[in-house]
Amino acid sequence: MIGSRSRIAWRGAEFRLLLPILLLVPFGFLITNVALSGAPEVGDLTLAVGYVALFAGAHLLLVAFGHRGDQLILPAVGAMGGIGMIMLNRLPQDLAGTSAFGLELGMAGTQLLWFGVGILAMLAIAVGLRDDGILRHYKYSWAAVGIALLAATLVFGYEVNGARLWIDLGPVSVQPGELLKIVLVIFIAGYLAETRTLLTSASVRIGFLSIPPLPYFLPMLALFGVVMLIVVRLNDLGTALLFFGIFLTMLFVATGRRSHVLIGLVLFVAGSFVAYRLFGHVQSRVDIWLDPFADPLGAGFQPVRALYALGRGGIFGEGLGQGLVTLGGNLTIPYVHTDFIFTAVAEELGLLGAFPLLGFAMVLVFRGLRIAALARDDFGALLAVGVTTSLGLQTLIIIGGNTKLIPLTGITLPFVSYGGSSVLASFIMIGLLLAVSHRSGTADRAPGS
Amino acid sequence: MIATNVRRLGVYLMLAFAIVSGSITWWQVVEAQNLSTRSDNPEVIAARRSLLRGTIFDAEGQVLATSALIDGLSRRTYTDPAMTHVIGYSSLRFGSTGLERTFEDILVGQTDPNPIRDLVSDVLARQPEPRDLTLTIDRRLQDFAAEQLGSDAGAVVALDPRTGAVLAMVSTPTFDATPISGDPDGAQEPMDALRNNPAEPLLARARQGLYVPGSIMKVFTAAAALDAGVIDPDTTFPDQPREESEGFVVDGFTIREHDLGGIEPDLWPLSEALQVSSNVFFAHVGLELGAEGFLDYARRFGFCDSIRIGSPERGLQVAPSLVSGSLDGDCGPFGGEVDLASASFGQGQVVVTPVQMALLAAAIAGDGVMLEPYVVRDVRAHAQGDVPTDEVLDTFGSGGGTRVVSAEAAAQTRAAMVDAVNGELGRRYAGQGDVTLYGISNERSAGKTGTAELGGEQAPHSWFIGFAPAQADATSRIAVAVLVESGGSGSDGAAPIAGRVMAEWLRLSGGE
Repeated sequence: MIGSRSRIAWRGAEFRLLLPILLLVPFGFLITNVALSGAPEVGDLTLAVGYVALFAGAHLLLVAFGHRGDQLILPAVGAMGGIGMIMLNRLPQDLAGTSAFGLELGMAGTQLLWFGVGILAMLAIAVGLRDDGILRHYKYSWAAVGIALLAATLVFGYEVNGARLWIDLGPVSVQPGELLKIVLVIFIAGYLAETRTLLTSASVRIGFLSIPPLPYFLPMLALFGVVMLIVVRLNDLGTALLFFGIFLTMLFVATGRRSHVLIGLVLFVAGSFVAYRLFGHVQSRVDIWLDPFADPLGAGFQPVRALYALGRGGIFGEGLGQGLVTLGGNLTIPYVHTDFIFTAVAEELGLLGAFPLLGFAMVLVFRGLRIAALARDDFGALLAVGVTTSLGLQTLIIIGGNTKLIPLTGITLPFVSYGGSSVLASFIMIGLLLAVSHRSGTADRAPGS
Repeated sequence: MIATNVRRLGVYLMLAFAIVSGSITWWQVVEAQNLSTRSDNPEVIAARRSLLRGTIFDAEGQVLATSALIDGLSRRTYTDPAMTHVIGYSSLRFGSTGLERTFEDILVGQTDPNPIRDLVSDVLARQPEPRDLTLTIDRRLQDFAAEQLGSDAGAVVALDPRTGAVLAMVSTPTFDATPISGDPDGAQEPMDALRNNPAEPLLARARQGLYVPGSIMKVFTAAAALDAGVIDPDTTFPDQPREESEGFVVDGFTIREHDLGGIEPDLWPLSEALQVSSNVFFAHVGLELGAEGFLDYARRFGFCDSIRIGSPERGLQVAPSLVSGSLDGDCGPFGGEVDLASASFGQGQVVVTPVQMALLAAAIAGDGVMLEPYVVRDVRAHAQGDVPTDEVLDTFGSGGGTRVVSAEAAAQTRAAMVDAVNGELGRRYAGQGDVTLYGISNERSAGKTGTAELGGEQAPHSWFIGFAPAQADATSRIAVAVLVESGGSGSDGAAPIAGRVMAEWLRLSGGE
């Protein structure tokens, strides 16, 4: 059936789950409008309607193309994105925005535009990627693309907050690191799918540790090392942590060897220690993490303000539109729309809003793992593991950073944080998941299968 | 199998999500209350911008600080710059300092002194009511002391040895806190001027200034050695007269006597040694006491510890005074015998705050009991005008007393200190530092001058600690420490000021 001409496939579960979520998004906008204006008026719901239209359209197109992929993923994405849109619409709109194509878009408008672009990319991949050969066979080309992206960032990139992550492309700025993430996952999946039998069987045992056979292992290790070096050179610690986590997880799933992960973790701890000693910015990050209250108006400003916001939210939250976003004309948390979007959600919706948000991310992650477990081939499984891990780790790392569980690093919360590159990359990853899912025919009771 | 590994991965990820959930719960549920009351919480700052603050009165009901709402913003007005280093400021731009900070929640009424009413207000979400504070400081004495210091940098700390109440606490130079606490947009410029002023008017010298004490430290050494029993009032050191001129060799270093002003060296016991302020005598005493003993008594008197004027939660912080050069706030070991000998006459590694030395004087005046100092007497319902209300909501006193030396050791030290300002040698040595010249005629006073040699060309800091009345049967009503930065010898700079301040207080409180 794979790649055959598609027939309409009713995606009932997806429809039933999307319906309440998509009804709640305009309702959230409405509550925010009332809270912010203080008047019982509906206010401007254009963005909410646009958002609903995007996801409804995506659903209908999947139905029309007879897509038999997982039906829980799109609702989970819709819910996370919905919470994100409500929050971004509620924050001051001049935090970010575009004035391209003759349009003046505020922050939420720009985000919605990127959701549109992202959903198109997702659909194209979910429906159009009939054969994963283009991904699997050209893995070294993908690796080359990745390195080129990094090199471009190193040469043409400009710095924001001490990390050189951005490339200016006229009307838009992009973060190549976000796309590199995908390329890296594709390469590692391709490489491990090919060599994993060798990696598992030919391990050298030293005591209780089994060392991967170096000849098979080195090419990947070398590439990974280059990537890590450049990322560290770009001062992007969050991305370095994320890449390392993705790499170790994929290696673990491919080989089943805990010792590989253990060695990796030891290397990671050693590397972190060296980085701590060598780089001042790493040291200051860690020091701020250990005691943000030591300098609440200086270095610890954002982390401390974030904790206060969490405390204000409490269990029930301050209510949509009721959070202390600005104080005396200044933002209480300057990066509230990107690094601290979770904090904003937790402040206004409380623990009762933060947990569902985390829950939707968990749905995404565990459906992703299910797709991996049921995948038809190793490449598909590893690809699914890679993108799922990426989305899951991003969520864990940034929420962990917001809540002082781990040092704060500048990483986006998928589908919630503001940021075009992040939204696009996340939707591409969802597209890949749906494609893998479709090929293994994992759709629950999909007609015609 | 990949599928098996994926399931195991799922377990790990589940665990990670559980840990993150726990972390969120920690801040949103467990810590939420603690976070909401911290004074650097932006919400707290925002709320306080529009809250009226209570009035602060001196011990006699004179207004020191008032507040008014102007354009919805709470603005503070201070009546007496001499009080700034006690009251602090409450600025919409720079936060608050001093009592304005430590009593902030009570002044703005966010905390009720009565815990039950506090709970009721919380439940009913009542609008906070400001509360007023009454201090133990008498503004007349405070202003008088500030006048005495004049344009010199320095500090005067006066305590009531019977209660631990602060009677005056002046740090100069000082500044008017009103411009900083008024219009938030106009506050930056005066603050910058203060920050850039080389005279450091922002430094509360009485509490935060650390100075070499010089000879006033000998009062401590004497009291400690008498209490430990290593000397008595008649103890003499046979080599001392010779060493007064030749020097006293400790550990290869020669300790030299300062200029005795023409007084011939003799075999001096405690009283005479204190009158002429013999470094050699007190070096011997310190060595007899030993490093352990010295450090033990230093801790008892409050050295090496962050003292608070008031309760641990709401007290004004005092920098720890150090005796052995160890900067981590602990009475660390001495570098050697010579350090101990030097510390015994107030040089070497010793640095002290004026508050600490006033506490030392008050402990001797109070028969060997050191009372914890306090500066806020009570909290009252807010007064609409400039007369304090009668509705007292909470009262404060000393947090408690500690016996630091025996009553006998205190009495012997006290007698030597009386001699130091009134005795035959003391008068000759003190010259115009004789505090009896400044109006204390009917009562005896006790005291000790200090001249903190700083080395080089720098003029020494001038010190005096003392108390009055001080005759054997009298109860002392005031203990003081006076410091004049680069004020020359103790008898020239600080002693006359101390004499006048003590006399003024005996006059003001004459009826008692």
